[in-house]
Formats: sequence, C-alpha cells, structure tokens
Amino acid sequence: MKILAANAGTLTNFEVLDFLRSKGAAKDSTRVLANVVPSEYKVYDYLVKTAACNQTKENIKEFSERCKKFDLAKAEVLNIINMRPSSAVGVYPIVEQCADRFEDVEELVELVTTMLPPPPTQPESEGGNTQPESEGEKTQPESEGEKTQADSEGGKPKEGTDE
Amino acid sequence: MFYLSRLEHTFRVPPSLLSLPCEEVVKGELEKLFLDKVIAKLGLCVSVYDIRSIKGGFIFPSDGAPTYTVVFRLIMFRPFEGEIIAAKLKESNSTGLRLSLGFFDDIYIPVELFPIPSSFKPDPNKKDKGTWEWEFGGDPFIVDGIDEILFRVRSISYPSIPLEQPEQAKPFAPMRITNAVTTMRYVCVCLCLSAYQN
Repeated sequence: MKILAANAGTLTNFEVLDFLRSKGAAKDSTRVLANVVPSEYKVYDYLVKTAACNQTKENIKEFSERCKKFDLAKAEVLNIINMRPSSAVGVYPIVEQCADRFEDVEELVELVTTMLPPPPTQPESEGGNTQPESEGEKTQPESEGEKTQADSEGGKPKEGTDE
Repeated sequence: MFYLSRLEHTFRVPPSLLSLPCEEVVKGELEKLFLDKVIAKLGLCVSVYDIRSIKGGFIFPSDGAPTYTVVFRLIMFRPFEGEIIAAKLKESNSTGLRLSLGFFDDIYIPVELFPIPSSFKPDPNKKDKGTWEWEFGGDPFIVDGIDEILFRVRSISYPSIPLEQPEQAKPFAPMRITNAVTTMRYVCVCLCLSAYQN
C-alpha cells in the first residue's frame, strides 16, 4: 500500500453525511437493503445528530463566502460549520484570540445563526424553545428551502475540495 | 474531522468474484481491506470515496487470480489539533474521562487537562469508577453522561502494536485522541445550557 496524498482535501461533516446518504444510508428500517456497512452506519448515526444533518451545499457555500470578511483560518471556518455555535460563548474556543481579532463577535454569531440551520435538538437562543429530547425525533428544519435536496449527480462521486 | 486521502494498493482478486463487474469487485475488496481500520498517521478509514484508476489485471505465473493496482480515495477520520468535537461520556474513573463518538471510542481526557477546580467522587459500588464534578461560580456541575461533552483535541497518537499484552489489559487501541476540556467559561455555559434543556 502506498500513500500518494495523505491530505487530498478536507471534508465538512455535511459532505460526509451527504456521501453516506447517496450510498443509501437512512434512519429507517431499509438499512439491511442499502449498500452500507455497519461501521459506516455508526458514522451516519453520529453525524445525523449534529448540525450537519440540516445543512445544504448552498448554505455552506454562502456562509463561507460571507465570512471571508472576518478573515478566519480555514480550520476555524470548518469548525464553525461543523459545530454551528449559537452564541458568542461557542465561538471563543473555536477562534483563536477572538477578543483581539473581532470587536463584535455578535456579528459572526448572527451570521452563523441566520445562514446555517440549527441541529435537531439545539434551542435557537439561550432562553429559546426547549425541545423535548426524545430518541429519534427530528425537529423540522426552519424553512422549506433549507431541507437537504437530493444531489443532482446521484450517487456519482463529487470532486473533493482541493486536490 | 474528516479528510480525503489518496492511496495506491496492489492486491489480488479471488477468482470466485470474476463474474461480477470489475469496479464493483475492486470496491468490495478495498472495503474489506480498509473499512473501519486505522492507518498510521492517516486515521480511521470511514469509507471508500471513489476509485481513480484500476490498472493491471495480470495473472502471475502459478497464481489463479488477477492482480490489480488501484488508485483510490478514502474518507479518513482524523481530527486536527485544536478542533472542537462533541462526544458522549463512556467511562469515568480516577485517571480521567473516556469519551465515545459511536464509531470511535478511544478518546481520553486525562486529569491534568480538566478545568480547575474539579473533584472526583468515587463510586461506592464499583471500585475505580466514579463521577467528576466541576465547581464554577459556587455551583457544582456533575459530569454524569447525560449531556454531551465538547472538547478540544490536543494530540493524536498511534501506538505501535504490542508484542505481548498482560491478561487484564484493555483491548489494544491503534489510535488514541487526548484532549483538553475547553476553557472554563465555555464549559460552564455549555453545561448550563444543557441543564436548562433538561
């Protein structure tokens, strides 16, 4: 076995989830029929509970365009997309020297909360609607347009982020 | 958390599979070889992303099966240093916490990297196990496994396979992630929020 490129591109949690979905992974009982191995299902089960499950490609693209003005490192943008911090307190550990780099962290937080849909059981703000935490219950995404759309390429592999 | 890695591998395809389409067989063999396995320095292989090229198919003398050289990309789980990840508590004892992601269980937070002040309350029923408690602003926050723990990745190590293991040792872990619980303010609000949710 030869390693040609240890890092042929980073993937957000959403991209991995999308790939697994295109292979046929789903939450319901069609599991045995799909071409997905149990170890891949464990990854799917983890990702479906994070913020990635409600995201779309358009959300992420637009978000990374809009946060260019904050001059964040690629790793920080990736972390924010994966974790979807809903308050300033969530941003501080992700962004190094946050207080020095931004005068107004709230602006970044607002961008995150407006551009990226919330994960299934996260309340929108600190005192917001508390969702009952029941197993397997997914709350509806915020608006119809934010539902994950079926990929037009079907199951074909997509280009990675960088070669 | 996830990277793409491009690898090349040469392997033999058993003759029993030759009636199926070549790409399918190659993908199946790659999945058998790499899925859910740790490759040193690359991480845990989650899935075969795509196959870039399949070359060869030669049958070597005295062998009954073709050998292919395949270039392919794998999705590897390999968090970078400084990444923030959410995980569930798996075990809690006097040396620290062990967390689990469902597909990966060897995440350790040693005692030295806990927020200060933390204290350990041993469980009277089971020796070695117990719960950790963190005091902040006069309120104790108990790490009890109900809420998710957000941690920052400190380091990843790939210990080499041991030649011998004592009988009581834990199963060998080819990839270990060591972490720090994040800054005090963050953990406090995180635990507050989760307590509010519950």
